[in-house]
Amino acid sequence: MADVEMKPIDDKEEKKEEKTAAEEKKPVPLTPVAEIKGNVAFIERAVSTLEPRFTHRVLRSLAHLRKKLDDKVLRDAVQAIYTTDSPTKQSLLSWLPDAPTEQSMDIDPASTPSKQPQAEPIPEVDIYLRLLIIHYLLASSDTHAKATKLAHETVDKMQALNRRSMDPIAAKVWYAVERAYELGGELADARPLFLAAQRTAALRHDDETEASLINRILRSYLQYSLYDQADKLVSKTSFPAAAGNPQHARYHYYLGRIKAVQLNYTAAHTNLQQAIRRAPPAKTAPGFYQAVHKLSIVVELLMGDIPERSLFRHPVLEKALAGYFEIVKAVRNGSLSQFQNTLSTYAAQFEADKTYTLIVRLRQNVIKTGIRRLSLSYSRISLRDICVKLHLDSEEDAEYIVGKAIRDGVIEGRIVHEKGWMECGGQKSGYGPEVSDVFSRRITYCLELHNQSVKAMRYPLNAHRKELAAAEGAREREKELAKEIQEGGDLDDEGPDLGEGF
Amino acid sequence: MGVPSQSSAAGVLALLSDPEPVLKQYALKALNQLVPQFWAEISEHIALIESLYESEQLPQEAHDSAALLASKVYYYLGDYEEALSFALGAGSAFENDTRSPGTEEYVETVVSKAIDRYIQSRLKEQAEGKIDSRLQGIIEGIFRRCIADGEYKQAIGIALESRRLDIVKSIYEQTRDTTLLTYAMEAVLDTAFPLAFRDQVLKFLFPLFPAPSDDAKTTHVYALTRILVTLNSPEMTINFLTSLVPRQKLLAYQFAFDLVEGGGQDFREAIRKDLPEGTEETKPIYDQLRKILLGQESIKLYLEFLKRNNKVDMLILKNTKDVLEPRSSIYHTALSLQNAFMHAGTTSDIFLRENLEWLVLANNWSKFSAAAAIGVIHKGHFQESMNILGPYLPAQPQDSSTGANAYMEGGALYAMGLVNAGCGSGQEVENYLRNMLRNSASEVVQHGSALGLGVAGMGGKSAEAYDDLKQTLFTDSAVAGEAAGYAMGLIMLGTADATSAEEMLTYARETQHEKIIRGLAIGLALIFYGRQEEADDMVKLLMAEKDPILRYGGVYTLALAYAGTANNWAVRQLLHVAVSDTSDDVRRAAVTSLAFLLFKNPAQVPRIVQLLSESYNPHVRCGATLALGIACAGTGLQDAVDILEPMTRDSVDFVRQGALIALGMILVEQSEASSPSLASTRALYAKIVSDKHDDPMARFGAALGQGLIDAGGRNVTISLQSRAGSRNTSAIVGMVLFCQFWYWYPLAHCACLAFEPTGIIGLDENLKAPKFEFISNAKPSLFAYPAATKPPKKETVAKVATAVLSTTAKVKAREKRKAVEAGETVPEEKKDGDVEMKGAEASSSRHGDVSPISGSLSNLAESTGKGRKSEPSSEKLSNFSRVTPAQLAYITFPADGRYQPVRVVSTRPPSTKASKSPSSAALAPERSGGGGGILIMADTRPDEEPDYIEFETQAVVPPAGPGAAPNPPPSTPGRHIALDESAPEADPPESFEYPFGNDT
Repeated sequence: MADVEMKPIDDKEEKKEEKTAAEEKKPVPLTPVAEIKGNVAFIERAVSTLEPRFTHRVLRSLAHLRKKLDDKVLRDAVQAIYTTDSPTKQSLLSWLPDAPTEQSMDIDPASTPSKQPQAEPIPEVDIYLRLLIIHYLLASSDTHAKATKLAHETVDKMQALNRRSMDPIAAKVWYAVERAYELGGELADARPLFLAAQRTAALRHDDETEASLINRILRSYLQYSLYDQADKLVSKTSFPAAAGNPQHARYHYYLGRIKAVQLNYTAAHTNLQQAIRRAPPAKTAPGFYQAVHKLSIVVELLMGDIPERSLFRHPVLEKALAGYFEIVKAVRNGSLSQFQNTLSTYAAQFEADKTYTLIVRLRQNVIKTGIRRLSLSYSRISLRDICVKLHLDSEEDAEYIVGKAIRDGVIEGRIVHEKGWMECGGQKSGYGPEVSDVFSRRITYCLELHNQSVKAMRYPLNAHRKELAAAEGAREREKELAKEIQEGGDLDDEGPDLGEGF
Repeated sequence: MGVPSQSSAAGVLALLSDPEPVLKQYALKALNQLVPQFWAEISEHIALIESLYESEQLPQEAHDSAALLASKVYYYLGDYEEALSFALGAGSAFENDTRSPGTEEYVETVVSKAIDRYIQSRLKEQAEGKIDSRLQGIIEGIFRRCIADGEYKQAIGIALESRRLDIVKSIYEQTRDTTLLTYAMEAVLDTAFPLAFRDQVLKFLFPLFPAPSDDAKTTHVYALTRILVTLNSPEMTINFLTSLVPRQKLLAYQFAFDLVEGGGQDFREAIRKDLPEGTEETKPIYDQLRKILLGQESIKLYLEFLKRNNKVDMLILKNTKDVLEPRSSIYHTALSLQNAFMHAGTTSDIFLRENLEWLVLANNWSKFSAAAAIGVIHKGHFQESMNILGPYLPAQPQDSSTGANAYMEGGALYAMGLVNAGCGSGQEVENYLRNMLRNSASEVVQHGSALGLGVAGMGGKSAEAYDDLKQTLFTDSAVAGEAAGYAMGLIMLGTADATSAEEMLTYARETQHEKIIRGLAIGLALIFYGRQEEADDMVKLLMAEKDPILRYGGVYTLALAYAGTANNWAVRQLLHVAVSDTSDDVRRAAVTSLAFLLFKNPAQVPRIVQLLSESYNPHVRCGATLALGIACAGTGLQDAVDILEPMTRDSVDFVRQGALIALGMILVEQSEASSPSLASTRALYAKIVSDKHDDPMARFGAALGQGLIDAGGRNVTISLQSRAGSRNTSAIVGMVLFCQFWYWYPLAHCACLAFEPTGIIGLDENLKAPKFEFISNAKPSLFAYPAATKPPKKETVAKVATAVLSTTAKVKAREKRKAVEAGETVPEEKKDGDVEMKGAEASSSRHGDVSPISGSLSNLAESTGKGRKSEPSSEKLSNFSRVTPAQLAYITFPADGRYQPVRVVSTRPPSTKASKSPSSAALAPERSGGGGGILIMADTRPDEEPDYIEFETQAVVPPAGPGAAPNPPPSTPGRHIALDESAPEADPPESFEYPFGNDT
């Protein structure tokens, strides 16, 4: 259900997969071919029982299976699954480089007898194998063109088939299409394709694909910094609520980015919180986790908050967030010079993270933080001292900045111009409407979290049948008991007779 | 990194605000190309585009492209209604656009919206003004295209939805394909169309069908019958029938029989009255028609059929009798019902005869039930009803009602109604029952006569009967009032009569007696039978009542009003009630009622009730069992059996009861070969009935199930759909009343109204049954009668147990004994290789069929000893033999045979080649749409002397005294069909009287 989006995030789903595959793996580590065959069986089951759960399970294993793919594995898998010679098989094999014949001869007899599907496997299986082949072709740079071609062909086939049971796989294929274009360096060219496909998906109520495609388009816009277009798209489409968690996480991340650029920090923060919450665990998808946190830290700083220290000690984040940690320290201290230094040191990294423009906006916040610290420490301080403490150039500057801070409500106080100092207002108390506001915001957040968790819960299928069996057993026992009592009663009746005998 | 060719449409959009019209026009054109990519951006300026469309200054072309642009933007925004409106405004631009690549989906969406809009506006047009001519244009185009592509059914569908009957006509004129007309008819009947329009379409379709002729075996004979029955219009039917006389008189007879099958009493009465007297030549034909339409002819034939083929397994009954304690009233009733169902319509009261001492044990209401059961057994034997029931009926209405006799007399009066079910209106029996009702002082007798009156005069709309019932109701006696409530509904069945509904509702609100309220609530439901929308107000009224019993009635009103239509709204309503009502009774009724809505596609029902069958609420589960049973009755649908099977082990007794009954209904007339769970179900019944520690409710259910699974001597199925495919009114009513057994056991007898004899009965032009044979192209075992149970071999094994003293050994022995007992009642097939056994059984039944009487009732002796031979793939059957609904598809008449049917036997061809293999999938779960029943045969060699089958029932000489039972007299040897002298049925009738009086 989740597809992966940037290189570092690729192994996002690995852990989940390991969990699900654990029981199968324990006895004997499966060969990739066997695993593919198992997956095919799952897909067939999913289609026959109309239960997309099994397909999702198969797709979760994609990321980790991808690393084990080579042309021999794929060829063997195709040979094993398509026992009869059919056009589908031919077309699949045509995408794989030819292999020495004796090699496949070894494998064939070993793998085919285990499974003898009489009928042609369902189209979902075909698409799944194509997906694997695309991923395999994408792995090496000289087959990219081929991958793109195959991806196109696959997409056409998918749209012609128009099967709802194929949706989860289709969503993944679209990811592969994007990846093919991106590696070819022509992501923008794919955009019309995505837009057309997104409309088709919306018409067919194909939520999985639509969600995936909206993310594809957003990413394509953001890649080229087309924030305006992205925003319009977001406002004109509604993200399907039925989409999977990872798609939601990604969507919220993109929203967060758009909102942050548009200066709407509160909304951005909410979206990023959602993205963090919905994202898979840090260890499984470190790339996404890091990216979201980088942005979230910057947005938090822009909102005037200081992120928690513990965040930077997180094993996954520690290294990646080093530069951001420095920035946070600078903002916390309100030291403009330290801020400037850090900015210049890590400029390259920030550029790469696409957070540089946002961080530049932080300069104001640094100063504001400094002034706030001063206002808390001093009840009266001269503008000259402010200059020195905040490394400002002149007293006029200081006067201007302090005036702005007072007007923005960052500090309470007033400037005494004649004397050249700033007088600070009374201490802020720890109580009052502000506190209750914060409190209610947290409660809302918790309640929403709870609601969404409840919605995400699943009940095990057919668990009640066990209860039914148990009830049946209980009834049987009761009946036996009743019989026993009756029989026992007979014995009791006989009792006195026996007694007389004694 | 490649730079995108164009990253924004802002530039072109700016041109739109340019004062120069040429630039605007250019911009609109350019934007039309850009829309797929930049719709989000363009949609910000939609107001501007709309104003351009409305502006006066631009040329027409620009108008059109502005409209097209707006339409596309709305399409991308997901507002398809607006998209359609603008597309209509775009005119030629839209037409041109349909041809450009990449817009297929857009065009498709807009066109499908256009169809929806067109249908809506056509519906409104009936009330108000004109519809958009542009829309009309698009639709005409669609029709043209559909017809050109040969997609006639699609075109007919759209035409029906949009009320364009002229299109239907033109399609038919073009193709001359009657299957299309049949399709249109079925579409109108089976999907939710309003009643008025339905009638309009049917009236329109009827004349389109070509006149039927007996040499061309057209399937639309069924369609015609269905239309006539549904329209319920006597003058149309009379015109049609007279058009067939005299040239096609056989066909006219056939139609008359088919009308009897589906039409109500009053409808037939009206036809009978208005049929012309005819001239010299045609008079006998009209007289024959009148005779057939009276309905009694069909009933007689079916009675004969059931009697002749009776295959009741007496051993099952005997086992049940031995294990059920007769002193307990519930068990006594259970056995009465089981016996009644098994012998329903066969006139064989041998079991009662042999177990007189058992009968004596009945008291009070179980005596009522036992007496009523006689009526079930003799159902349809209306000529003799007075003689059969005479001994039990009150001699004089005035002097009845002394204590214990009242129950017997009441039951007998009810039995009288059952015997005359569906043909009593306007007959002698109605007056008799009314008389009894008026003059009796005992409420039990009143109860019996009211029920009898209701069942006999069902749908007769007799005002006198209704008034008498009303008088009884107003005495405010709980017992009599309840029956009066039901009966009033039965008399006014399907009339939607406002005054009577009002009276009943008012009284139901006033009275204190729950029983009366219940009777009236169901009565109200019956009044609105089949009235669809007309019942909506009453349903709303009843559903909003505070009294749960009236809401219960509301649920049934809804179900009966929309019976068989599978109306989505009604189904949703019922499902809502099923999970939300505060009263368990109402919820149970709501779930059960689903069956009445959905019986036309039984395969759907298991899916719908699956979740409900797993509800935490036992009442909902119980409702689900009955819903499955009623909707899938007679189909042997494996899905339904799979749901019910675990429910027979439910922790709540009445759920088990429901599941057992439902299994009986579903598996009726199934064979070992067609339904693998048949043997296990029978074994389960035997086990539960004999398990002393099981709950009485479950044992009652198992006994009923045993009765239903072998109903009518194994020659009837339970079907809510008539052969022509319309609703089988009496079956639906019977099942509704049967469902009330929850409150009142005597109402369970009404299940026999739903029993449908399944056989082929061929008649020649003199309405006599000639001898002939036809072929069933399926393995005999697939449709064979189940094997009879073996008498228990020995009980000696159990004796050993007494010697062992240790408790554990005792327990073991007990278990062993239990196992042995259970094993013995299982039909033999379980142990032996089943194919061989089935082959043997099949061959025995085939032998029985060649000369039907010799096989009847003597199958006990016959089922063993036949050699093992490979099974043939077809068998020959003779006139008056059993043909199950699933079997009909395999029936053919040999081309060289002397007698040929005037219409085809079945509307369905055998589904697949594979279905010849005896697997459960072979029997298509769909309900047979028609066929079988009474067939009028054309005689190809009229000069030869016909060879007729003698009827047993008609040979009855009226018995000498009232005490004599109306058994067939011993037949004289040398007739065509000799009675097997050893068969128990052939014993000379001994005078036997129900010894009710002895127990006081």
